[in-house]
Amino acid sequence: MLIPRRVKHRKQHRPDRHGAAKGGTKVVFGEFGIQALEHSYVTNRQIEAARIAMTRHIRRGGKVWINVYPDRPLTKKPAETRMGSGKGSPEWWIANVKPGRVMFELSGVAEPVAREALRRAMHKLPMKCRFVKREVGEA
Amino acid sequence: MSEVRLTAEVRTEFGKGAARKIRRGDKVPAILYGHGTETKHLTLPGHELMIALRTPNVLIRVEGEGVNELALPKGVQRDPIKGFIEHIDLLLVKRGEKVTVEIPVTTVGDVVPDGLLDQQLVSISVLTEATHIPEGVEVDVTGLEIGTQVTAADLKLPRGTELAADAEVLVLHITAKPTEAAAEGEAAEGEAAATAESAETESAE
Repeated sequence: MLIPRRVKHRKQHRPDRHGAAKGGTKVVFGEFGIQALEHSYVTNRQIEAARIAMTRHIRRGGKVWINVYPDRPLTKKPAETRMGSGKGSPEWWIANVKPGRVMFELSGVAEPVAREALRRAMHKLPMKCRFVKREVGEA
Repeated sequence: MSEVRLTAEVRTEFGKGAARKIRRGDKVPAILYGHGTETKHLTLPGHELMIALRTPNVLIRVEGEGVNELALPKGVQRDPIKGFIEHIDLLLVKRGEKVTVEIPVTTVGDVVPDGLLDQQLVSISVLTEATHIPEGVEVDVTGLEIGTQVTAADLKLPRGTELAADAEVLVLHITAKPTEAAAEGEAAEGEAAATAESAETESAE
């Protein structure tokens, strides 16, 4: 599971959920990918679940790239606690994914296999996504 | 490569308001520069431009009021979700001039059954004549053994085209497919880590 080894600030503000992705919107490493169509916080567990779903389907062969990293902590106050007395404790590690971002890439398998593997992975993710292919030579 | 003719209008209004107004009319704001000439702000027809850009490094003849130039697309800004063109930078070129452009690298053929093609470069920088830009370079991967590496120097470039990138740079290589056990092992490792962490979190609570 992806977790930062060391962070400068243990508790951070929640990242903003506005706007579209500024970079990482194209498939660059592999041949196929999953592109986010909505904004969402993706936890390290969801990333891992998607990766496992993908690799289990492609069985052998194929290479997977994970283009997002869960480097932001989210905190949570314990249940039935009165407001105040400081910020809650870190509970999740999330990647702040914006629409347009290509989160996973895959190569080395036939397109039907890749479609199915990525469809399975999409079910593990918290937002609407779509299957994208690398476009050769598009300016 | 033949050139594509596009009719351009000179832009006189600038800023995001004017640009959005242009886009609403199915047109694309563009900018034309190069050779130390004064920058020209243009408006291009959206649909025709989109079709023209399907060809990599398409040579565009921009025609219009006081404009009649040959240009190459230098930077294209697209909407990340819908894919429509938001803005284009055009670089002025002259006939016979040598330009450095990125051409796509594609593969043909199938790799050996136990091999996995790992393509590191999908486009490569070449020096070529502006009016004769190759559409791409093909690499035949049929029969390449596991461990074979193809570098930029190994590419068969069309006549009149020189390599502008480092000749030593790796374009693709053939690796052995990961075994099923290795893939499963990795997945199991991930699951184990998840379980261990959830146990840790629970105990901390």
